[in-house]
Amino acid sequence: MDQQGQSSAMNYGSNPYQTNAMTTTPTGSDHPAYHQIHQQQQQQLTQQLQSFWETQFKEIEKTTDFKNHSLPLARIKKIMKADEDVRMISAEAPVVFARACEMFILELTLRSWNHTEENKRRTLQKNDIAAAVTRTDIFDFLVDIVPREDLRDEVLGGVGAEAATAAGYPYGYLPPGTAPIGNPGMVMGNPGAYPPNPYMGQPMWQQPGPEQQDPDN
Amino acid sequence: MGDSDRDSGGGQNGNNQNGQSSLSPREQDRFLPIANVSRIMKKALPANAKISKDAKETMQECVSEFISFVTGEASDKCQKEKRKTINGDDLLWAMTTLGFEDYVEPLKVYLQRFREIEGERTGLGRPQTGGEVGEHQRDAVGDGGGFYGGGGGMQYHQHHQFLHQQNHMYGATGGGSDSGGGAASGRTRT
Repeated sequence: MDQQGQSSAMNYGSNPYQTNAMTTTPTGSDHPAYHQIHQQQQQQLTQQLQSFWETQFKEIEKTTDFKNHSLPLARIKKIMKADEDVRMISAEAPVVFARACEMFILELTLRSWNHTEENKRRTLQKNDIAAAVTRTDIFDFLVDIVPREDLRDEVLGGVGAEAATAAGYPYGYLPPGTAPIGNPGMVMGNPGAYPPNPYMGQPMWQQPGPEQQDPDN
Repeated sequence: MGDSDRDSGGGQNGNNQNGQSSLSPREQDRFLPIANVSRIMKKALPANAKISKDAKETMQECVSEFISFVTGEASDKCQKEKRKTINGDDLLWAMTTLGFEDYVEPLKVYLQRFREIEGERTGLGRPQTGGEVGEHQRDAVGDGGGFYGGGGGMQYHQHHQFLHQQNHMYGATGGGSDSGGGAASGRTRT
């Protein structure tokens, strides 16, 4: 029974990727829900970013002390001077960068956390930053320094889904065969070993499983 | 003295001798302090969120790359305009060019306020000081605010002072020429 359950789980986990007309109902019931959740997350991120920029303006308007920066000016200047073409830097340049870098860290962290939440984790990890970099155009310049293993995880996730789809195809073919006609099922033997009612019942119970597991891949 | 919570400029005397973290002294200087970076990251996250060490270190690298990315663009602009000193407006221009428009509006306000406060603090009333011949094109930058280009030749003495962020250093630059005339050429230190 456990094996049967697993097979069913895999089968239905792959349904969203199939265009089999016979499985339209299960696919329809899954897809809108997932899409809606994703939309809500994106809307939440957009609102967070809007709130973030509004906060920036308010905080800057209140700034009166330019001596206490959240980032050390000397270190910023040293990083700027690492470029051999850079010769002289005005005193205001590191001050501007101190603020700009704070904005940069806040924005990249916000976008990274969005990915953390999608994976139902509470710890922001390196691969969350990698995901945020790949999803945001202005962060393209960071692609070279984001660890490639983390980028590969994103790619493998997609491959895994495809593999699941391929593996699920044989099983996806059975339900249509068994549902309309009982006799062919008995003749084939394998479908007969899995009565329709228990088979239909377990997939419904198993549906959340694959959805939760897929993002982890 | 390790990575200080606040401005650690004063603690940078022995930049080449810092060895308090797992990074080598030279490597450490390439990044902003991990404590400062972590603190800022937490401001963007819920209270119960955690940040892995790897994520903090990755963010350190990303920030340094951001600084180099923008600085490189600003430096190119200065070279084309035959100016030697990168100023705040050059950085804002570079960020706009590189797609960080959202950052520029708040930073314009920030830079204006910084210039106002520096002007007040030095109490020089924005008198004209030694300007470089090559700096006369700064008017093209577009911002009406005073210009704080590095005063005259950046001698070692001034550079040393900058590391300590002494008032004197700001005084030297706080009086950037703000008059109608483009090229103010008083004393030029060489």
